[in-house]
Amino acid sequence: MLFYSYFKTLVGKEVTVELKNDLAISGTLHSVDQYLNIKLHNTRVINEQKYPHMLSVRNCFIRGSVVRYVQLPPGSVDVEILHDATRREARGGG
Amino acid sequence: MLKQGAGLAEEDATVKEPLDLIRLSLDERIYVKLRGERELRGKLHAYDQHLNMILGEVEETITTVEIDDETYEEIIKTNKRAIPYLFVRGDGVILVSPPLRS
Amino acid sequence: MADSALAGLIDTTISVITADGRNIVGVLRGYDQATNLILDECHERVFSTKNGVEQLALGLYVIRGDNIAVVGEIDDELDAQIDFSQVRAAPLKAVTH
Repeated sequence: MLFYSYFKTLVGKEVTVELKNDLAISGTLHSVDQYLNIKLHNTRVINEQKYPHMLSVRNCFIRGSVVRYVQLPPGSVDVEILHDATRREARGGG
Repeated sequence: MLKQGAGLAEEDATVKEPLDLIRLSLDERIYVKLRGERELRGKLHAYDQHLNMILGEVEETITTVEIDDETYEEIIKTNKRAIPYLFVRGDGVILVSPPLRS
Repeated sequence: MADSALAGLIDTTISVITADGRNIVGVLRGYDQATNLILDECHERVFSTKNGVEQLALGLYVIRGDNIAVVGEIDDELDAQIDFSQVRAAPLKAVTH
């Protein structure tokens, strides 16, 4: 639940999601669910010349299972809070 | 869950299972090998039981092997890039190596 | 929630990128927790570097969630402006887990 909770705090922020098919999509995080499925608004595909497959898409749903990385906005990462939440989760708290 | 916890118990330094070793690497630079010939080096800020992670000051290395058209020799290329903060999905993780301790 | 993420898309045209790299456009009629989809009036958009995008009519599909990578909301106005016969690109790669 740690990352689900964390991603909920990023709603409204700009992120870049890199998928396991090498597609990278930037957009505003609109929602996330328990599977870490992600919904982005105002999306832009990185390197649109090579990947014109989503030219007419502005909002999209990304299945959590195909995510490789999410690049996070630096201002939104509070490392102290993450450390504490991680230790609590490691102790079986959550 | 993300609230600052008051009075965390003192950290247990005993290592009984693999994830204990990762817990002791919090806030340290670790090495992560991923599927698809990818490697990451970065500071571990968060993880869970799936090995989902958040790393900071990340350097990603992607290794590709090409075959030379004429000599058929293998040409190994590495591409590096820097990413300030990165969430890594655990299902792509092959191994995690904690920092060297002296 | 997964439910609310796709709820607003019922009866609208969506573009599905499958795990094997195909692009299927159709009208969303239903979905469930596992992202299984009912897609009506499906067309596959086949990308190639040699020719423009080819459209293949497929009919009514149920697509299994495990094989879905991305569900995109098609902006009909934007879509109508694109001359797909002029769009050339390699097909997307398959998702490698």
